[in-house]
Amino acid sequence: MLVSVYRYNPDKDEAPFMQDIEVNIPEGRDLMVLDVLGLIKEIDPSVAYRRACREGVCGSDGLNMNGRNGLACITPMSEVVKNNKLVIRPLPGLPVIRDLVVDMGMFYKQYEKIKPYLLNDTPPPAIERLQSLEDRDKLDGLYECILCACCSTACPSFWWNPDKFVGPSGLLQAYRFLIDSRDTATAERLAELDDPFSVFRCRGIMNCVSVCPKGLNPTKAIGHIRNMLLQRAT
Amino acid sequence: MAILFFEHFQLTCPSRASVECERAVNKKRPVNLDLTQFRFPLPAITSIIHRVSGVILFVAVAFLMWALQGSLESPESFAQVKESMSGFFAKLITWGIVSALLYHLVAGCKHLLMDIGIGETLEGGVLGAKVTLAVSVVLILFAGVAVW
Repeated sequence: MLVSVYRYNPDKDEAPFMQDIEVNIPEGRDLMVLDVLGLIKEIDPSVAYRRACREGVCGSDGLNMNGRNGLACITPMSEVVKNNKLVIRPLPGLPVIRDLVVDMGMFYKQYEKIKPYLLNDTPPPAIERLQSLEDRDKLDGLYECILCACCSTACPSFWWNPDKFVGPSGLLQAYRFLIDSRDTATAERLAELDDPFSVFRCRGIMNCVSVCPKGLNPTKAIGHIRNMLLQRAT
Repeated sequence: MAILFFEHFQLTCPSRASVECERAVNKKRPVNLDLTQFRFPLPAITSIIHRVSGVILFVAVAFLMWALQGSLESPESFAQVKESMSGFFAKLITWGIVSALLYHLVAGCKHLLMDIGIGETLEGGVLGAKVTLAVSVVLILFAGVAVW
């Protein structure tokens, strides 16, 4: 199979280029893209990429495979390979450090901005802050985010304003804390988001939903935040 | 003197490795944003057409206002504007503007539905995009019949 890999070594290359590598795929097996990268690494050890858990939990190996973002470790070849060809590029929109490794600084900065931790100004109880089952259910579909950046780097609004638009991943997390019954800073959190860029750059094109490897729905969360902002203003 | 010279040499000629290191750090990092290389889902495509149709309308409204003003000046100028709008090419442009308006309207209605939480799932988004395209194509065909 022909695999075309995005290559860029700041020490040697003036500009990034695509390197075609012929990889022998074992007969009758549907390898994950990460396994294909492993085979490439045997052919050319200089190819750089991030990986850790290899089972879709750590979120290290977010890549653009045949034009679509996803986690290489849980994306089978059968899902992305077209005409026996696979094009592997780094996540779009973030600065490339080397080959398939991107600088996630912008992405983390947006995550930091939404204060991803519980804020509660009441005195802490002796054991723990309790939550009803119904309130806990509201966190499902929000807390599972692994911060792989597949969604935010598939979002044109984030490409053009990575410094001002929080992005799907950050907003999903923002909603996770807005809706948490144990958090008392809802008003402050909403005030932070109430500007033309942070939330409202979302145009609802749902690229985030279509690529999320965990099947989460940032568009819906953003819709909820919008409604909360609207209610706050009226 | 020899020591001074040595120090000077060290200051102006750092080792090759550190030069390369510095170059790599200072160099502007490339960004993978070649839009032709990405696969866009249908809702993304309907969204960019929404944007494009909006820009077309923005430009077209200026010409339409100009034509409106011309048609209101006198009975002769009204006849003149009417005459100039009846050619095949003029009708084609009119149809184009009406098409942009219809598409923009339909896609806008989809946005309103999404604002009240309809069509925000993965399947719902794709379905919404398909419906937007289908409804606009039908309306645009009707508009073509109306223009000619």
